[in-house]
Amino acid sequence: MTTSHLGRLAMAAIIAAMILVPVIQTSEESLNLVSLILIWALFAIGFDLIFGMAGMLSFGHAALFGSGGYALTLLVTKAGVGFVPALGAAGMVGAVMAFGLSIFALRVSGLFFSLLTLALAQLVYILASTKLRSHTGGLDGIPGVPRPELFGIDFYDNRNYYYFLIVVFIVGIAVMALLRASPFGKALQAVQANDVRAAQIGYNVQRLRQCAFMISGFYAGVSGALLASLMFYISPQMLHWTTSGDVLIMTVLGGKGTLLGPILGVAVFEVLKEKLSQYTQHWYGILGLIFILCTIFLPNGIAGLFARKAAGRPGDAP
Amino acid sequence: MSRVRDGASAGGLRCENIQVAFGGLKAVAGVSYDFKPGHLYGLIGPNGAGKTTLMNALSGHATLSGGRVFLDNRDITRLSVHARTRAGLGRSFQITKIFSGMSVLENLQLGAFAHRYRVQPFWMPASRFRDVREDAEKVLEQVGLTKLAHTSADYLSHGDQRALEVGLTLLGDPRVLLLDEPLAGVGHERLDQAIDLIRRIVAGRTVLLIEHNMDVVMQVSHEIVVMVQGQLLASGSPDEVRANPAVRAAYLGEGE
Repeated sequence: MTTSHLGRLAMAAIIAAMILVPVIQTSEESLNLVSLILIWALFAIGFDLIFGMAGMLSFGHAALFGSGGYALTLLVTKAGVGFVPALGAAGMVGAVMAFGLSIFALRVSGLFFSLLTLALAQLVYILASTKLRSHTGGLDGIPGVPRPELFGIDFYDNRNYYYFLIVVFIVGIAVMALLRASPFGKALQAVQANDVRAAQIGYNVQRLRQCAFMISGFYAGVSGALLASLMFYISPQMLHWTTSGDVLIMTVLGGKGTLLGPILGVAVFEVLKEKLSQYTQHWYGILGLIFILCTIFLPNGIAGLFARKAAGRPGDAP
Repeated sequence: MSRVRDGASAGGLRCENIQVAFGGLKAVAGVSYDFKPGHLYGLIGPNGAGKTTLMNALSGHATLSGGRVFLDNRDITRLSVHARTRAGLGRSFQITKIFSGMSVLENLQLGAFAHRYRVQPFWMPASRFRDVREDAEKVLEQVGLTKLAHTSADYLSHGDQRALEVGLTLLGDPRVLLLDEPLAGVGHERLDQAIDLIRRIVAGRTVLLIEHNMDVVMQVSHEIVVMVQGQLLASGSPDEVRANPAVRAAYLGEGE
C-alpha cells in the first residue's frame, strides 16, 4: 500500500510539475526539453508494457516508433487527413507493425526474440532509407511535418504544442495505469513470472504477448508521430536500432516494471544528454558509463529507490 | 468451485498408443490406457521410466510422435496446454511453478482470472473482481493457506509452496487432475497434512498421481499403473500390483 501511495503521489507531483513548467520556465530550450521528455516517456511506458510487465526484450521498437512518425507525416501532408485522426492512425500503424513483427518474433523467445525484432526493425530502416525513397525522402527525411490544427489554437507555438502533449501524455498514462492494474496486466505479469504455469492455469500465453506487443506498438506509433511533429521533421534516424537502444536504456535506468520508472528514466536521460552535450561530444559514452553504474548499484532503477523501504517485507503486495 | 465433486462429473482420460521421442530416445514408447472417471491412479516406476513425460504428453507440454489423447471421448491430441486446461485438465508440477513476486492470494487470483475470462478484462482494475477473489479464497481455504494469503509466494516454506502448487491446479475445478509428485520434498512433519490435502482434493475427480512414496501411493490409489522403460508393465489394484512378480523384479524390489 505504501509503495503505491508513494508512486501515486510522485506521479501527481510529476504531472503538476510538467503543467507548471511553461509558467515558470520561459526559455524555448527548456520547453523543448520537457516536450521531448513527455514524448519519450509515452514511448517508454509503452515499451515497458512488454519489457517490464511481460518480460519480452524487444529491440525492434524503433520500427514502430518511426513508422508512426512516417504515417502521420504522409497522412497529413499527402492525403490531407486531419492531425488528430492521423495521430490515431499513427498508433494503429505502430500496432499493425507490431502485429507483423510478432508473427515472426513470437515463434521464438528470450534472446532470439530480441535478435529477431532487431533484424526485422533494421529491415524497416533500410526500406525507408533506400527502397521507399520516393515516399520517405530517403536518408534526407521529410521536412515540414505539421502540427495539430484545433480550436483555432496556434500549435506552431511551442508552448501551445506543449499543452497538447500534456493532454496526450495524461491520457496515455491513465490508460496504461488501468491496463497494468487490470486482469490483463496481471496476466502479463503471470506470463513473465512463469510462462509454463501461466499456460497451465489456462492463459493463452502467445495471445497475451501479442496483444501486449500491439498495445506497445500503438504507444510507440503515437509517440513517434508526436516527436516528428515536435521537430517538424522525420528521418530514418528514428527507425535506426539506436532508438530501440535508447528507450531500453531509459526504461532500465528509471526502473522497469513500474509506471513511474520509465518516466523518471526518460527525464534523467534527456536532461543528462542536454547538459552533457553542451560540454563534450562524448556525451553518449558518459551516459553509457552512468547506465552501467546504475545497473550495478540500482538494479531496480531510480524508481527502485522509492520502493526500497517497502520491499522485502513479506506480504506486501506490489 | 470448492464444492466436493460428485464422481459423475469427473472426466475420463484415455490414451491410445502414446509415443514421445527425444531424438533417438523413446521416452514413452506406446502407452495405451483408459483412466476411468472418478478413479485415482497411482503411476509408479523407476527413475527414467517416462512417468513425467507421459504426464507431459497428457497435459500438452510434450509433443507426441504418435498416438492420441482423449478427454471424455473428445480428441485433445492437438490442443495446446491452455486449451486442455480449459477443457478441464489440471496439472501440478514436480518442480514448483508458482508466480514469484506475488502474494499467495494473487497467485490464486491469476488462476481464477484465467479460468473465468477467455479475453482478460483490461477496462477495470483487477482488485474490483469480487467473484475472482472469492474463487481464490475458497481454494486458499482448501489448501490451508488462508493465514498466509498476503504473504509473498517467495517467502513460503517448501511445504506451503507445494500446497500452493496444488492449489493452482484446483482453480477452474478440473475434472481430471494430473499430480506430479505433489509430496516432493515435503518434510516428514508435514507429510500427514500433505496427504490429507491430496485426499481432500481428489474426491470426485479422475486423478493420475506420480509419487515415489510407496506407502502413500498404495494407500490413496484405487489402481496402480506401473511404467518401465517407456512402457506399461502392469496395472491393477494396489494388492495385485504388490503381488505381481514382474513388478517386484523391475521396481519394488529395488532399494526397498
